[in-house]
Amino acid sequence: MKTTQELTDILDFAAEFATYMLGSGVHTSRTVRCVQRIGISQGVCIQLTAFQKSVIITVRDDESREVLTRVVPIPALPISFERNADMGALSWDAIDDKLTLEEIRARYDRLVSKPRIDPMFVLVTVGFANASFCRLFGGDWTAMSIVFTSTLVGLAAKQRMQAHGMNHFLIFIISAFIASLCASASLRFPCTSEVAIATSVLFLVPGVPLINGVIDIVEGHILIGCSRLMNAMLLVFCIAVGLSATLLMVKDSLL
Amino acid sequence: MIAVDIILDGAFAAVAAIGFGAISDPPLRAFPRIALLAAMGHALRFCLMHFAGLDIATASLFAAMSIGFGSLALGRQVRCPMTVLYIPALLPMIPGIYAYRTVFSLVMLLQSLSDGAQELRYMQAFFLNATITCSVVFMLAVGATSPIFVFKRRAFSLTRRNRRQVKNK
Repeated sequence: MKTTQELTDILDFAAEFATYMLGSGVHTSRTVRCVQRIGISQGVCIQLTAFQKSVIITVRDDESREVLTRVVPIPALPISFERNADMGALSWDAIDDKLTLEEIRARYDRLVSKPRIDPMFVLVTVGFANASFCRLFGGDWTAMSIVFTSTLVGLAAKQRMQAHGMNHFLIFIISAFIASLCASASLRFPCTSEVAIATSVLFLVPGVPLINGVIDIVEGHILIGCSRLMNAMLLVFCIAVGLSATLLMVKDSLL
Repeated sequence: MIAVDIILDGAFAAVAAIGFGAISDPPLRAFPRIALLAAMGHALRFCLMHFAGLDIATASLFAAMSIGFGSLALGRQVRCPMTVLYIPALLPMIPGIYAYRTVFSLVMLLQSLSDGAQELRYMQAFFLNATITCSVVFMLAVGATSPIFVFKRRAFSLTRRNRRQVKNK
């Protein structure tokens, strides 16, 4: 049987664990399963309901029938697949190795303080990725090199604006505008300029929220799924606005 | 020559997947598998569209399913859930050109409101491209997620150590 203090400690940790997972771009059903595993390892039952901005989480001790509930805000964190995988592994280890709450907490603190991938490495690999994407759409080598450069400029601008904590809708509009404007330089060369302009903004596509939204909907978490899709669609709309600004300037050369 | 096209298609898709995956901070151990899945999926879609005559949405569905099953098979070795492997692998299949044409048609539609024939042409192009873009993205997500429904137990325990390792502990 748990004391109220022990139950509160489990609830506080489970709430932090759940909100960190949801904030890092993990879909809802996976977050629920991982948090419930933490609960099983501590001998309590955990249920949670997730929304776009907050989580309602309840811990119940079956022996004493004591129930505690909290509503916790979800922090805005960068998407991290590494933390997604590691936190899932931690939830299984908690059951398999019968870890105590202190051990789980220590391992959790270690994994969330791991360094993230180097932004310079991201910048260069995304440049190559977008250039390859251009090739997949039928772009030639000139278009690919222009897309590579445009992506570097657009993504570097995005990273700087994110570091200054700007509004993320504005960041998407400005980055899309800068990247497509750079790519419109392709109109001066004999190359597949339409493909270059089209591809230059694709590094901004919010793939993770889009796919998580569809996963949540097909798994029955329709409310949060729609919220995620709506959020992703707003970002896609921002990309379209940035791209449209460039197209308005160069449309006559594209017709 | 056809084989070279297929291999090049897969290779460029692999580079694209690694780059787009890097934005979402995947574990380094997952990169080779993400590249493999992206190459396999994109090359399959290329073949289905060019040789089997399938449309882009149906071909994307089958390619996404193959990526989904691939991530189920490869996830256990690196203790990664399916989504960590398949989301970056799906990104090179996003129909960027159709998305671009949707935006372009909308811009041109708004610029030619006084010309009836042009207006209709751009309106038609807008709906056509928007429909294809949305259908392909939906098919990609559903196709890659479908293996979870078939192999629920395995899909939910990819980040668990295998039984022998647990017993030896």
